[in-house]
Amino acid sequence: MRSFLKKNWISSLLLVVILILALIAYSRGGWHLIYEGIKNGITIFVTEIPLLVAAFLTAGLIQSLVKKEFITRWLGQEAGIKGILLACLGGGLIPGGPYVYYPIAGALLSSGAGLGVLVAFITAKNLWSVSRLPYEFALLGSSITIRRYLITFLIPPLLGILVEWLFGGYIQKIRENVKE
Amino acid sequence: MSTSTIILWIITLILLIFSWKKGADSIKRGTQLAWSTTKKNGLLIILAFIIAGFVNILSPKDLVTAWIGPDSGWRGIIAAEFFGTLLPGGPYVVFPIIAVLVQAGAGLGPAISLITSWSTQSLLTISFELPFMGWRFTAIRWTIGLLVPLLAGFTAVLLWG
Repeated sequence: MRSFLKKNWISSLLLVVILILALIAYSRGGWHLIYEGIKNGITIFVTEIPLLVAAFLTAGLIQSLVKKEFITRWLGQEAGIKGILLACLGGGLIPGGPYVYYPIAGALLSSGAGLGVLVAFITAKNLWSVSRLPYEFALLGSSITIRRYLITFLIPPLLGILVEWLFGGYIQKIRENVKE
Repeated sequence: MSTSTIILWIITLILLIFSWKKGADSIKRGTQLAWSTTKKNGLLIILAFIIAGFVNILSPKDLVTAWIGPDSGWRGIIAAEFFGTLLPGGPYVVFPIIAVLVQAGAGLGPAISLITSWSTQSLLTISFELPFMGWRFTAIRWTIGLLVPLLAGFTAVLLWG
């Protein structure tokens, strides 16, 4: 049971949310409203299938075109503003979840990358991400996605520069922090 | 068929052609990756859509408008940021839920604050960040990052009200 929960804890969490919502639905309109809720969800899901298929294909193809070894090699060598900008580009291009980009960021940290470069890389991964874009576009629509993208476009490099300026001197301590 | 669907399929086709030019192997690997992501997350996606369906049916319009509606101002942007740090899972889980909140009356500023907060401040991601980056790095990045969703939400309100 424990290992099952550990492996499937996001599904479990979502199931708990569904149960709570179903209880609320039941208290308002009995079984009928529960049925309506599930039906509504499945209906939206089915209408979104053409979009989802395209989104998954796009994300998969980008993943196979961009090699992570290439990005790691490319980012380990640059510093300063140029390094921060390259880190943004690398972060935006690299596909995959936190279990993919944090190990890479960790490798960059131990191979000598600066604080600003690392923060820019992680922030760009989360705000510029090319492989996440298809999902956002498909599920939230173009209007919000384009505006969200425009607004947060400058944030990864600016945050990198700000953090480097404020805390750049701590990088040695941060590196020792991980080695401990 | 919506404009988004058409645009996304055009991008897919361009990538397919590009991969095909790079060699048949790229297409095979790409579609395999797409399939494995689908298989791994299929159940999650359906669960997320069922949540979206329930939220839709229960139509908590008053609740959503009061907390993160277009006139909720700073309070709405801050509430959205807080909620965003708690959202679990990948884009295919989170975006359908955010979409329903938008339909239920969330304002543009809070919506953008919510997306940004889930992207950069998610508490669950920290469990990956800590072992690889250490607590010093995580503390610096996360604390300064708290400004980002606020800034993004506020800019959205300034630009598009």
